[in-house]
Amino acid sequence: MTRAIVAVAAALALVALAGWLFGHSPIDLLTILLGGSLDETILKAIPLLLTGLTIAVAFRAGVWNIGGEGQFIAGALAAFVAARFGLAAALAASVIAGAAWASIASLLRWWRNAPEVLTTILLNFIAINVLGWCVNGPLQESSARYPQTDAVSIALPQIGDVHAGVVLAAAVAVVAWWLLYHTREGLRLRATGFNPAAAKFAGVNVEAQIFRAMAVSGGCAGLAGGIELLGVTHRLFERFAAGYGYSGIAVALLAQLHPLGTVVSAFFFGALATGAGELQRSANISATVATLIQAVVIFTMILFGRRERA
Amino acid sequence: MRLANISKSFGATRAVDDVSLELHAGEIVGLVGENGAGKTTLMRIVAGELEPDRGTVLAPAPIGFVHQHFVLVNAFTIAENLALVGATASEIELPDESRLVADLSIGEKAKLELMKAISRKPSLLILDEPTSVLTPAEAAELFAVMRRLAANGTIVVFISHKIPEVLEVATRVVVMRGGKIVAEGGTAEEIVREASGVRRPRRRSDSAGMAGAPRITAIVGVAGNGQAELAAKLRREAKGVVAAIPEDRTRDGLIAEMTIAENLALRTSVPAEQLIANYNIKASGPNQKAGSLSGGNQQKVLLARELSINPNVIVASEPTRGLDAEATRFVHDRLRDAAARGAEVYLITSDLDEAFTLGDTIQVIYRGRLSQPLSPEEAAEQAPRLMAGL
Amino acid sequence: MILLAITAATPLLLAVLGETIVQRSGIINLGIEAMMLTAAMTAVLFAQGSHSAAIGVLGGIAGAAAAGALFGFFAIELHADQIVTGVAANLLALGATGFVYREMEQSAVFVRAVPRLRVDVIVPLAWIVLPIALALVLWRTMFGLRLRACGENPEAVERVRLYRWSALGIESVLTGIAGAHLALMLSSGFAENMVAGRGFIALSIVIFGRWKFKGAILGTALFGIAAAAQYALQAMNRGIEFHLLLALPYVATLLILCGIAGRVRAPEALGR
Repeated sequence: MTRAIVAVAAALALVALAGWLFGHSPIDLLTILLGGSLDETILKAIPLLLTGLTIAVAFRAGVWNIGGEGQFIAGALAAFVAARFGLAAALAASVIAGAAWASIASLLRWWRNAPEVLTTILLNFIAINVLGWCVNGPLQESSARYPQTDAVSIALPQIGDVHAGVVLAAAVAVVAWWLLYHTREGLRLRATGFNPAAAKFAGVNVEAQIFRAMAVSGGCAGLAGGIELLGVTHRLFERFAAGYGYSGIAVALLAQLHPLGTVVSAFFFGALATGAGELQRSANISATVATLIQAVVIFTMILFGRRERA
Repeated sequence: MRLANISKSFGATRAVDDVSLELHAGEIVGLVGENGAGKTTLMRIVAGELEPDRGTVLAPAPIGFVHQHFVLVNAFTIAENLALVGATASEIELPDESRLVADLSIGEKAKLELMKAISRKPSLLILDEPTSVLTPAEAAELFAVMRRLAANGTIVVFISHKIPEVLEVATRVVVMRGGKIVAEGGTAEEIVREASGVRRPRRRSDSAGMAGAPRITAIVGVAGNGQAELAAKLRREAKGVVAAIPEDRTRDGLIAEMTIAENLALRTSVPAEQLIANYNIKASGPNQKAGSLSGGNQQKVLLARELSINPNVIVASEPTRGLDAEATRFVHDRLRDAAARGAEVYLITSDLDEAFTLGDTIQVIYRGRLSQPLSPEEAAEQAPRLMAGL
Repeated sequence: MILLAITAATPLLLAVLGETIVQRSGIINLGIEAMMLTAAMTAVLFAQGSHSAAIGVLGGIAGAAAAGALFGFFAIELHADQIVTGVAANLLALGATGFVYREMEQSAVFVRAVPRLRVDVIVPLAWIVLPIALALVLWRTMFGLRLRACGENPEAVERVRLYRWSALGIESVLTGIAGAHLALMLSSGFAENMVAGRGFIALSIVIFGRWKFKGAILGTALFGIAAAAQYALQAMNRGIEFHLLLALPYVATLLILCGIAGRVRAPEALGR
């Protein structure tokens, strides 16, 4: 916990310093950065929570799933296509699509020893291009003016000013925590991440655990995509994923791979994203400070615990 | 080369315990002992790879060290591997140096390692288990090289647990056990006895050895004769619930980063508190990280986990290695209890004493093959001989 | 048209050459993106400050070296996870350059036209001179042998860190030139996120080229031509299928990772 606080403090301090170097008031900068609207924060936190879980679950099993972007897109595409069958179908489709996309990588790993680090990243690019093809081609809006789809026919119900996805995401986090820490299968998954040889000796089916972890991991990212489509954007377009997959890394590391911690971590990064947007609007400071903070947080966390992975 | 009062510990384990040794040019010294006796650690200290906790080392230079596990680049050719260490022409050769190391036979790889080591014209050459992967012909070739080098004044140290070979080529035999030097020279049988720690075969009272009752089969042998493969085979072919105590405790045993309770829960549903109490495990509680326990307590946790699932078959490899007397007795008692409850227990060990203490039947393993089942009395006579391969 | 495609793909090739060397030494540097982006910005800053494109190139190298040093400190010295470190480096560069750009957007540095090299020597340098020179170093010298050994079995080498840092240093120079080329010759200055994923594409091409320079050149050329063809098709308003065409290199690389299109052997100790 202290590590996380130090990491955040360091990152914020660095940004304040940078701002000061360029003539901005550090106090003002930090106030705007951390003072965004609650609703927007929650909206941005929801996909971050899920992509953070993506990373956390996979790392816990000792595998690299850097494919959050691609799985996010796969989920959104599936949700779009399945939307005609209703909300539940669309959400289910997004989970399955994300899990399937991630499973391509775990299949290649099992079958041909292809390193999942690289295959998941490659699958990201493939997904991005498939999306590009879709929104420029078969799924393009009827007016065919922009590379985007028509608005999807259904949407997540609203709860106040946020959509119901917040409940879904929080539920997933709690379920993930419960499964990881209060069931034997979760124990086996974590054992696989710590020491595959010893886990195998203790009767754990290591390969099956890895497959399962990747699928669950991908499913979370896919769900994030589906929720983002059905709750926020309502249509697909190029650059739909916009870095959520990679941001998940910072979210997960700050939370030290703990599912419940991811809730807080995602909230923080959501606040950052909101504040950064506001910073750009009002003070013309690039919104990429949010990315800067993510990076410093990750570096600080790495500095503290070299083998931070599971 | 002179060693004086060398000691080295890794954490709580005393790997080398106050060893003093003097070697002279032209000697071929066979360093013998079972796994964990401290041979490799001692030589690594001599070679400067490890720092001793105490004691002084006086060693000549340069030192050539052929390690047990090859340090070759598989993707490179023979010539490139030699170039990597700056090796020039040496007295032994491999044909066609443009071949990739990945395509070489194990014997050729071993030869390449040797070439690397002697290319620097070492004054001291250390070979760690060099013949474990060689055919008899290749081994003979190696011994010829060793004799030539010794004749030219090199000190040659030959770590092995293949007693007949050591006797064939060594001018001097040094036996280690438990980090100490316990003997020098002797016949093969005597060497084996010293290495495995048997003073005289112990007679067992026939309390549990009724014919037809469930038995403990003790498989005894010098390390490196196929025990791991045998253990794996027994685990695979066993019927019913199988429990296993792994030989390599750090790699296959408990998961250090997880708690005692978590490690237990991987296999058993018996509550951790209960097992901690039953097995007298010294820990602050079920949530203590397994890695912070002493070796003996870790073994108890492992035992608790494996025995509490009511196994039909237990395969225990070196279960008391590194444990003190109390823990050893504890493990033995539990294994006996399990056998009395009807489990089939296989004990794989290099400790003859242990085999006699526990085994209803004893078999000796040598080069992957098992001897006839022996009664404890028969084993008392024949085991040391069989273990030495005679 | 092919010449244009080759020129446009020059930064990519330089990145591929650099990453090939680094991966041969056993390190996966996902932070190439960071190095190129930083280099692009520092190239512009140095060039504008000195009114010389050549100085700009040197500035680019300095920027890439800074990013490389950060990565190397964590990955080589601290033995931190190479993947996470690389991703973090990318985020850092993205954030830092974006921030600085915004701040100085109105200043002359980014508004005035950047000085350019009179003759674009970087292109023949990247496609002809450097591959030959680097190949000679890597395969005909003792230094190269030991560097490659670091990527196969680091235990067989003394002073592994030295060789890995050297590899990273070479990569810094190459990506520095790449970033400078991108900003000064191909574009007319810096733009946010101008590297646009070339770093990851470079990673794929390294694998596609089987960690060899000949393959690097071939792979980059193919990719460059395919990308140029995309724009041509787009101009002809046949813009649909080219997205799938763009996905082809990644699919091909996936297949190669599976050993389908011939045996693929990565440096054995890659990532360790």
